[in-house]
Amino acid sequence: MDEPAYTVVSDSETTGEEKSSSAFPEIAIGIDIGTSQCSIAIWNGSQVELLKNTRNQKMMRSYVTFKDEVPSGGVSNQLSHEHEILSGAAIFNMKRLIGRVDTDPIVHASKILPFLVQTLDIGVRPFIAALVNNVWRSTTPEEVLAIFLVELRAMAEMQLKRPIRNVVLTIPVSFSRFQLTRIERACAMAGLHVLRLMPEPTAVALLYAQQQQLTVHENMGSGSEKIALIFNMGAGYCDVALSATAGGVSQIKALAGSAIGGEDLLQNMMRHLLPDFENRFSNHGMNEIKSMGLLRVATQDAIHKLTTQTDVQIDVNLGNGSKVSKLVNREEFEEVNQKIFEKCENLIIQCLHDAKVEIDDITDVILVGGCSYIPKLRNLVMGICKKEELYNVINPLEAAVYGAALEGAVASGISDPFGNLDLLTIQVTPLGIGIRADGNNFVPIIPRNTTMPARKDLVFTTVRDNQIDALVTVYEGEGEKVEENHLLGYFKITGIPPAPKGVPEINVCMDIDASNVLRVLAGVILPGCPHPAIPVMEIRLPTVDDGHGWCAEALYRTYGSTLDLETVQKKI
Amino acid sequence: MDMSASMVTSYHVSVPQFNPNKARLRWKEKRSGSVRCCDTTRAGELRARKEKNYYELLGVSVDANVQEIKQSYRNLQKKHHPDIAGHQGHEYTLKLNEAYKVLMREDLRKDYDASFGRMRMQFGRNASGLGYSSWKGPLRPEALFVDENACIGCRECVQHASNTFVMDEAMGCARVKVQYGDSDQNIEVSVDSCPVNCIHWVDREELAVLEFLIQPQPVKGYGIFGGGWERPANVFMAAKAFNKQLKEQTEAEYKQRNGQSTVEEETPAQAEARANASMEINMGRFSGIWKFFEQVFHSNMWNSE
Repeated sequence: MDEPAYTVVSDSETTGEEKSSSAFPEIAIGIDIGTSQCSIAIWNGSQVELLKNTRNQKMMRSYVTFKDEVPSGGVSNQLSHEHEILSGAAIFNMKRLIGRVDTDPIVHASKILPFLVQTLDIGVRPFIAALVNNVWRSTTPEEVLAIFLVELRAMAEMQLKRPIRNVVLTIPVSFSRFQLTRIERACAMAGLHVLRLMPEPTAVALLYAQQQQLTVHENMGSGSEKIALIFNMGAGYCDVALSATAGGVSQIKALAGSAIGGEDLLQNMMRHLLPDFENRFSNHGMNEIKSMGLLRVATQDAIHKLTTQTDVQIDVNLGNGSKVSKLVNREEFEEVNQKIFEKCENLIIQCLHDAKVEIDDITDVILVGGCSYIPKLRNLVMGICKKEELYNVINPLEAAVYGAALEGAVASGISDPFGNLDLLTIQVTPLGIGIRADGNNFVPIIPRNTTMPARKDLVFTTVRDNQIDALVTVYEGEGEKVEENHLLGYFKITGIPPAPKGVPEINVCMDIDASNVLRVLAGVILPGCPHPAIPVMEIRLPTVDDGHGWCAEALYRTYGSTLDLETVQKKI
Repeated sequence: MDMSASMVTSYHVSVPQFNPNKARLRWKEKRSGSVRCCDTTRAGELRARKEKNYYELLGVSVDANVQEIKQSYRNLQKKHHPDIAGHQGHEYTLKLNEAYKVLMREDLRKDYDASFGRMRMQFGRNASGLGYSSWKGPLRPEALFVDENACIGCRECVQHASNTFVMDEAMGCARVKVQYGDSDQNIEVSVDSCPVNCIHWVDREELAVLEFLIQPQPVKGYGIFGGGWERPANVFMAAKAFNKQLKEQTEAEYKQRNGQSTVEEETPAQAEARANASMEINMGRFSGIWKFFEQVFHSNMWNSE
C-alpha cells in the first residue's frame, strides 16, 4: 500500500537520491578516478579499506588498452613495460578529455599524446582513437572510462562477494556540470549509480574531520573549530579547498580549481628538452609515437628524481639519429614551470579570499595528490599559509579515496557504534550558476561557494513591449559574458501576457539539492495580479548534449534579441 | 512597495511538486477532501513553522555569539542534512543555511534583528503578547522587573507583595505578574528584601523588551539529549542593543514614508497590515524565494482539499 506499484525514474542518467529501503542498506564504495592513477575503497564496518587488485596494487594506472580483441584496463592488465601505454594502443588521461569540446585548450594540449586526438575547432567533441593493428579505432572518453569502471566494479564485486551499485566518485573542482553528466554517463554505462560526486579536496576534508574527531575522543578535549587548507594537485587538475571542521562536521568554506597538473609540468619539461617536439610529433607515425614515448618516460622519470635530487642527467635516444642528452637541475624545472606555480598560488589566494579566512586562523595545511612531492609546491603552499610544516598524518595519494569511502558510508545511512561515522560534509557550489540577461551578460543567480543545498531566485523582466516569449539560457561559470561560461541548457517561457516592457516579473529560481541536482523554476507574475500568469516551469539541468557549443550561437542567430531578458532593479 | 508585498503574500497556484517528497504526496492522497479539520491543523502548523524566526530555527538566544551559532548550526545540520535525513531534510536545510548566513554576517544580522524586533513590538502593542506583566491602576513612568538570571528563588518578594510578584515554579524564579499590584510600601519592602538585588525599577518603555528577552527560548535538542532553555546572559545589555536597532529602523522607515507622503488616515488594522507587509519585504530581502515557494507549497496543500 505504502509503496507505489511502479516508479518511472527520470530519463536522465542519474536517478538522484535513492535511499535504500531495506534494513541493511548497501554501502556505497568510494572511487578516486585520477588522471594517472585510480583507487577504490569501502567502509568495511569498522574502518575504510582500500581494495587491491590481483597484483596486490592499491593504486592502479588509469588507462585502457585496445591491443587485443577485448579492451583491458589498468585494473587487470599486466603491463610488460611502461612503453606499452605509450604505444598508441592505450587511451589514458581520459579525465582531461571527458566532456570537453575540440576548441578547448586542454584538448589541444592532448594532441601530443600517443593516441589520436583530432580537433576540427568548431565546438564539437574531439575525435579520439587508439592504434590497433595499424588501424586508428575510434572511441570516446566516456567509453574508455566505462570500460575502466567495469573492471573496477568486477574486482570489487569479486572481493566483497556482493553486487556493487552505488558509488561515490571524486571529481576535480573545476569540472562543469556538463562534464559531471559525462562522468555519470560513464558510470551508467558501467552499471553504477552515482550517489555523490565529491570534489576531491572535500573528500580529503572529510577524512581530516574524522581524524580530528578521533583525537578529540582520545583527549576528551573540547571540539574546537579547526580550519584546514587543502591543496590537491594530481596529473590533470589542481584543487584548493578551505574547510572549517568541528565535531565531525566538515564545513567547506570555499573551493577553487583549475585544469593544471603534472601533465602540464611534464609537457613544459619535454618542450624544454626538445623545443620542436610538437612539430616532430604532429603526424602520429609509428616512429614518432615511439620516440615521443621514450622522451615522455625519460622526462617523467627525471621529474620524479628532481623531487629528491637537485639535478639529474637525462640521456635518451629517440631513434632516427636524434638524441637528448642534458643535465637538468631543480631550478631549471621550476623556471620552466613558473607559470603553473603562479597559477597554483593564485588559486590558493582566491580560495582564502572567498572563504574570508585569515592566514593566521589556519590550523592545518594539507597537501595531497601526486604533485605534492614537488619541493617547490610544498614551499609555495607553506609560504602562503605561513606554516613551518604540513599536516602529515594523511597519505597524499590515498586521502581522497578514503574520504569518498567515508562519504559513501554516511550517505548510505550507515552508522557506527563507535562514532567513527558521526560525520558530515557541508558542500558549496564550486562555480556560479546564472542566466543570460541584459544583453550578452551572465547574471549569476547562485554565486560560487554557496552552501548546498541552495535555493536562490532573481526577478527579470521583458525588454520590449508586448513581448510574449522569453528565452532562459542557463550558464555555469565565472565570466562576465556568457561566452566565457559553460552552457547548461535553455528553455522558452511562452504565453507572457502582453504588457509594456519591464512590467511582467519573471522569477527565475534555482535549486540545488545535496546530491548536486540542479533544477530551475521560472514563473511569470503581472503586478497587481495575485496569480501567476502561466503555469510555472520546472527544468532539470543540464539538458545540453554533445556538440552543444553550437546551440547558444544558433539560438542567438535565430532569435536575435527578441526573446531577451533584463534584471529588475531592486525596489527597496 | 505594497504592491509587491501583496503579490508575494497572495501567490496561490498549484504547480508540480518542486521537490517530490514521497511521504507528503502519499499523505496528501490519503487526506484529500475527506478530513478537512485535519488539513486545517496541518496548514496552521505549517504556517506557524513558517513564522519561526532565525534564532528559533537555530535554537539560540537572541544575543548568542558566533561560536554558539556555529555550534548549533553544525548540530542541526548533523540531524537534518539530506546526507543523513534523506530528501526530507532538503527544505529544512535550506532554511538553516539561510538563517546561518544571515546570523553569521554582522551587517545582515543587524538588519534582520531590526525587522524582527519590530515584529515583536507590533505584537506587544496590539495583542499584549510581548510583555508578561499587566498593570493595576494608571500607567506609571517606572515599572518593576525581575532579572531572572540573578534570581535565586528565595520567595521573599512573593511573601511581601503577593499580588505583584509570582513564583514560576518550573523555572524556580520570581516574576512580576501585576505592576503595582500591592501598596507602594509593600513593594518597597519586597524590593529591599531581595538578597541578590535582582528586582529593578526600569523605564516603562523598556519593560516590554526586557520581559520579552528574559523569556527563555527553547533550545533544539540534539540526539538523545534534551533541548533545554536559553536566554541572554545580560538582559539589560541585550535590550539596549535591541532598542537601538529598533530606533534606527523606525527612523529610516519614517523618512521613507514621509517621502512617499500618504495623506489618508489609517485605521489601526491598516497600520498593522502595512507594518507587517513592509516587514515581510524586509524579511523577504533575506529569505527571498522561500516565502514565495513556501506559499506555493502551502497553496499546493490547501488546493488539494
